Amino acid sequence: MPRFFLHIDDGTQRIEDEEGSELPDLTAARDEALGAARQLWAAAMLTGRDIGKGNFLIANDQDEVIASVEIDDGLPEALVKRLKGR
Amino acid sequence: MAFNNRLLRALSPADQDVLRPHLRWAELDRGTVLVSPNEPIKHVWFPESGLSSIIAMAGSDQGIEVGLAGRDGLVGMPLVLDADRTPHRIFMQVTGVGYSIDGDLFRTLLDDHAGIRKLLLRYVQAYSTQTTYTALSNAMHTVEERLARWLLMSHDRQDDNEIPLTHDFLALMLGVRRPSVTIALHSLEGLGFIKATRGLIMVRKREELEEFAGAGYGVPETEYERLIGQLR
Repeated sequence: MPRFFLHIDDGTQRIEDEEGSELPDLTAARDEALGAARQLWAAAMLTGRDIGKGNFLIANDQDEVIASVEIDDGLPEALVKRLKGR
Repeated sequence: MAFNNRLLRALSPADQDVLRPHLRWAELDRGTVLVSPNEPIKHVWFPESGLSSIIAMAGSDQGIEVGLAGRDGLVGMPLVLDADRTPHRIFMQVTGVGYSIDGDLFRTLLDDHAGIRKLLLRYVQAYSTQTTYTALSNAMHTVEERLARWLLMSHDRQDDNEIPLTHDFLALMLGVRRPSVTIALHSLEGLGFIKATRGLIMVRKREELEEFAGAGYGVPETEYERLIGQLR
């Protein structure tokens, strides 16, 4: 299985994924990032803590960024629509 | 031989002599599966070092860690409780060494030696307290707090300050996605409690880490010391 690195760019700094993970393909790597985005939002809502804008940067085993997933992509669509309507 | 395993150490010299001839030295490499779900348990292990993880399975390839045992405990607890198998999976996640003993023989020795049986039953009680606090922590605490708790529990079961753990393992332990581990480690590092490098986590400020972990850490450890003896 290929190795993917899931770095985090939180807007002010880049948090490096030094180890990477073996995942079947890029889709699985995106799912991992999306799942993490949901976990971040879930924790933020439970604790009332805010989180800024940010991205997960998906890099291949050469450490070249090949995709990114926004932390905001972890929000449910219905919630995003409702907030836009305000 | 002097034992490093806290249970073997806590036995009376006479009970140690009962077990000693039957103990086989075992290398317990990372990844070694000690107990497979729903299969008869043929051996019991007393780790002298390293860490084993007890995983509650969700299907055949997913699960979450519900308990850990190193030199504080034994692997093969169902045999103490007159059960021959468990739905859990148990594997080594930090390489160590230890002793193994034949399962059938172990059960016979428990029947014949109340001192051994009682100590191991008290360990089951201590372990059960550990898992109840894992449940508490999973329901009440943030990923950062749970990570802090988990690092403390690992630290308790080894001598040095560097814990050899990969982020993939931590994700399994905590039941979270990989980047959530990266973020949680980053925030504990930012507080100065730990230093994480590739495959290695160094505990730098143990007391602060304990305070940060809150109610998830401390009660099971106190209970262990009341029932068995020194944990660290």
